Amino acid sequence: MRAIVVLGRVLDPAGIVVNRRAGRIFVNREEYILPPADRCALEAAMRIKDATGCEVIALPRALFPDDDVLRQALAIGADRAIYLSGRGPDCADDAFMASVLAAAIRQLGGADLVLTGATTLDTGWTQLGPRLAEILDWPQILDAWQVEVQDSMTVVQAVVPADGGYALAEADLPALVTIAAGALKLRYPNGVRLINVYRGIGAVAEALERWEWQTLLEERPTPVLERRGQEFPPERERGVRVSGSAAEMARAVAGALRQRLGR
Amino acid sequence: MDFTFSPEHRALRRMIREFVENEIAPLAAELDRTHRVPFETMRKLGEVGLLGVCFPQEYGGMGAGEIGYCILMEELNRVCTSTGTNVGAHIGIGAMAIYLDGNEEQKRKYLTPLARGEKIAAFGLTESGAGSDAAAIRTRAVREGDSWILDGGKVFITNGGYADIVTVMAVTDPALGARGGVTAFIVETQWPGFKVAREEDKMGIRGTSTAEIVFEELRVPHENVLGKVGEGFITFMKALDMGRLTLGAACIGGAEMALESAVRWAKTRKQFGVALAHKQAVQWMIANMATEIEALRSLVYRVAWMVDTGQPFTQLAAMCKLYGSEVASRAIDMALQIHGGLGFTRDFPIERGFRDARIGEIYEGTSEVQRIVIASNIFREHGVRIRP
Repeated sequence: MRAIVVLGRVLDPAGIVVNRRAGRIFVNREEYILPPADRCALEAAMRIKDATGCEVIALPRALFPDDDVLRQALAIGADRAIYLSGRGPDCADDAFMASVLAAAIRQLGGADLVLTGATTLDTGWTQLGPRLAEILDWPQILDAWQVEVQDSMTVVQAVVPADGGYALAEADLPALVTIAAGALKLRYPNGVRLINVYRGIGAVAEALERWEWQTLLEERPTPVLERRGQEFPPERERGVRVSGSAAEMARAVAGALRQRLGR
Repeated sequence: MDFTFSPEHRALRRMIREFVENEIAPLAAELDRTHRVPFETMRKLGEVGLLGVCFPQEYGGMGAGEIGYCILMEELNRVCTSTGTNVGAHIGIGAMAIYLDGNEEQKRKYLTPLARGEKIAAFGLTESGAGSDAAAIRTRAVREGDSWILDGGKVFITNGGYADIVTVMAVTDPALGARGGVTAFIVETQWPGFKVAREEDKMGIRGTSTAEIVFEELRVPHENVLGKVGEGFITFMKALDMGRLTLGAACIGGAEMALESAVRWAKTRKQFGVALAHKQAVQWMIANMATEIEALRSLVYRVAWMVDTGQPFTQLAAMCKLYGSEVASRAIDMALQIHGGLGFTRDFPIERGFRDARIGEIYEGTSEVQRIVIASNIFREHGVRIRP
């Protein structure tokens, strides 16, 4: 069995200061981290590897300038990682990347399961998983909190939010599952693997391959988004404090909502 | 010159930062309050390979070198000086003595489980009558066939209450003194004749075991002589050199914690209508702290690089320990002053940091001993041999 885990990177929020008044983001420390949801996807992949002995291959969520997130995945315990190199379009959105990743998976000879984060921390994009599943024509389970492979590795089961609670969703393999941020705690890397993969020593370093993304596709995919500039989202308005009994507070909330909606 | 950390050391710091924030920081106040050694944390540190961070991979270590070890000590002490001290005594002096002067068999048998965190080490040097004057030890080792019989005791031994292996310095030829008459031994604490006499009740680093240990006709096989018979003093001084450097790194962490707390407090605490950050008296303290920390960081990591590249560093290691411990003490003192009365309470980690920092100027060679080491080296270069 082969599981693919798709991982991104995001500027560490602890190293930046947002100054809305100046209209700028000040980067005090340029350090990139694995986004929370992708960390959970990696942990889900490792747990499935622990349970089934499957091969785990890490792929990048975007065309990154370096392979750091893939080295992190190898240090954690992924068996292989493919760095996709080459210049992409100005806005390499999820539609573009889904096509590139589908081609990479075909180049790998297919897979049984793809795991990735349900959303990204910086852009809040959520489309990569669904778009990739559509291209691969696989079933998809979104926003899972727990994933297990069942029945001699033919079925994936996942716990997903439903109607204010949780439901057990099931799909035949091959399938794609996106994992919610905060679902699982990522294990720590193995120290020796960490040092060796960054120093380029031994089997763990050799497990990092470099592919030119343009060689994977005959036609260059077209992004659906176009970058026209960037500005801060509108400032969040102050809330209304309500007090009193439950009924009084409910009436106050309803009144505030009516007023806000102009009804 | 290149002052940047390598990619593996940046990744190592990221891993350690995450580990200490998740596993160690939440325990720090409780360890201090209950005077408890965090055995569970030591086990977890061993599982991820951090208890062998600087040792070669062939002996169960991570192979991250002295720079990697300094990163570990800096990050540990940023959140918990007690855990940093436990780890420092284990890696920096206890296991380090075996790494530096152990033979191949000793490294396989003892260093490997220590580097993997399966066993914990301590370093047995100080005695009640031999503190700064380490050469005045009285613990005696007498040869008997293929063994040595140890009698005596050690005090202020970090990890002493629970270590599995202790590297011990004992007198083997009283006539020769420290130069030729002292030998280092690897002692397993499960052997008959090894006893833990008492645990110290300390002002700071209360999440550590500081024990008095006693040897009563303790039989040590000759194969457990560490280095050569009569050269134990040299072995121990080499281990202490390494320990002093990494204590300097530990002090970066302690001082950094003080600075971070002081900045956070100065941003939020308002007096006379403005945040303390706008007061020049506070700004100067913050500026002084930050400047000293940067100077210390430059010194410590340069010396760590010298160790990793095989250059002599004894004098500089003493400077790391001397300057580091005094920078850390000054930083926590200023942070407490900025916090005012609240910093004096146990509601803030500053109070614990203040008590923890004080030992830095005492253990593994007092500031006065470090000055002796530094001055001796300087005068030796000018043809003068000074006596302590």
